[in-house]
Amino acid sequence: MATVEYRGMNLIVPENDSEWREYLKAAREHRLVMRRCAACGLLRHPPNHACPWCADLRWSWQEVSGRGTIHSYEIVVQAIQPGFREWAPYPVVVVELDEQRGQPTPDEGLRMIANLVKPDFTPEWEDNVAIGKRVRVLFQDLAPEIALPQFTLTDEPAEGRTWRLT
Amino acid sequence: MGNLRDKYCIVGVGETEYSRNSGRTTRAMAVEAIKKAMNDAGLGPKDVDGMMSYQQNDSTPSLIVGPDLGIRLNFWVDMVGGGSSTEALIGLAMGAIEVGMCRTVALFRSMNGYTEVRIGGTGARAAAPVRGQELATRPYGMTSAGQVFAPTFMRHMHDYGTSSAQVAHVKVAHSKHASQNPKALYKERVTVEDVLNSRWIVKPLRLLDCCVETDNATCLVVTSAERARDLRQRPIYLMGVAGRVSKPRTDFPWAHGPLSRVAGYYAKDIVFPMAGIGPEDVDLTGSYDAFTFTTLLQLEEYGFCKKGEGGAYVSSGIIELAGKRPNNTSGGHLCEAYTHGMNLVIENVRQLRGLADDYCPGWAEGKHSYDYSPGKCRQVKDAEIAMNLGWSTPATGSALILRR
Ligand SMILES: [Zn+2]
Repeated sequence: MATVEYRGMNLIVPENDSEWREYLKAAREHRLVMRRCAACGLLRHPPNHACPWCADLRWSWQEVSGRGTIHSYEIVVQAIQPGFREWAPYPVVVVELDEQRGQPTPDEGLRMIANLVKPDFTPEWEDNVAIGKRVRVLFQDLAPEIALPQFTLTDEPAEGRTWRLT
Repeated sequence: MGNLRDKYCIVGVGETEYSRNSGRTTRAMAVEAIKKAMNDAGLGPKDVDGMMSYQQNDSTPSLIVGPDLGIRLNFWVDMVGGGSSTEALIGLAMGAIEVGMCRTVALFRSMNGYTEVRIGGTGARAAAPVRGQELATRPYGMTSAGQVFAPTFMRHMHDYGTSSAQVAHVKVAHSKHASQNPKALYKERVTVEDVLNSRWIVKPLRLLDCCVETDNATCLVVTSAERARDLRQRPIYLMGVAGRVSKPRTDFPWAHGPLSRVAGYYAKDIVFPMAGIGPEDVDLTGSYDAFTFTTLLQLEEYGFCKKGEGGAYVSSGIIELAGKRPNNTSGGHLCEAYTHGMNLVIENVRQLRGLADDYCPGWAEGKHSYDYSPGKCRQVKDAEIAMNLGWSTPATGSALILRR
């Protein structure tokens, strides 16, 4: 069983965690992986055991680019978990990856939750967080078999108009 | 409900004091709320033979609470759930009675939501180990309801230009309603400026955008229309129900958009045809207000205004007591108490009876002044049809249509 204390919480990944163990292990190797359906070819996140679109049970891991766009976000000012208090205010972002945007329906995409961090894994300044900004994945190593995928801003131009709460 | 429309009724309602220091167990509170609802209906222990509750490992089960009241149960179920459970369980209670498993169901929620298991997620829940699907969110400091819902609210602001000031009107309206409700925890009226000046919790939510946390038990009694005729109160008929209707991908609701869409998008097509009415026929609403935004998103999704125009709708005065279609006339979760939805249904039942328990001296006889200034009346005049819009998450909700 892989386990690590992170910000006062125990992250627990038992040997039989058939969803997360390999995903977090790949993250520790600094690879972002998603499950690809063997029948319809669509990628999905988070990892699970049937295809959300065709219910096929066969899948394989596929590495993705880790590049995407901020689809929505929030700024946590009052942290709930004690270990996050000194980290607040911190952004939580919904990232839409470049792979599979608007597929299989226009309302869907390969989306992830993460923090928007600076390259040193401190929270990005609130003024720099906006819907439409471009991001890339970073891996925050926590334990021999656990790393957290995080996202950081890139120099690429934003997609169209950016928007932030003002 | 097809041919079950108007065949079942809510016949009794009851609740404990809404407080932040109950000083007693969920067992004691549940028993009090159920007893009050039975008294309200004019039912004794032999008349109730079904019991349902919803809980999050923070309550006392029916098998303990029923016998405390001398009730022998022919049917009971204690379901895991929070918001949106009330409406869903009412539908299930009708089903249990319809198939003959029992005759009359007492449905309760008992919780020390402030002094034991904090509904906002602070305390023991915040430090619990993270495993399985929680690994997708909690390691990122996304754990409380507000944190989980905020990207939906933010996206609505992005998509439709909804402003913080517009949304603040939900709190303003509900605080006005609470000022006419002796039971409400927060009776003080607030202004848009008060809301906008309150401290940030998780942007775009400020403190006054968030509901209260309270200790309380609440209860509703459901039985057939046939039995309801002989009971103490005017029966309130169940016209339509939709239970825990969900968007795709509830495992990870951000995967399927639009993020600014909520479950009512799907639930409305079940509940309105069942009741045979449309939004324009509804006199008052109980749109779940865990947050100011949840009220707005649901009113919009159920068609009380056009999609995207919820900001204009809630800030127009329509949802206030003097308005065309008041929402959460008790003060709701934002001001009265947090009960995971049941107090919002209880309020609508009282409104349809014409017996809102306000400050009018003759309220118990249905004598109301309809003066909606502070500390006066909160009865909606001639309310005939009410609707509850239950919220669990942006991706799951329930709905209920009631008539007098
Ligand atoms: Zn597939």
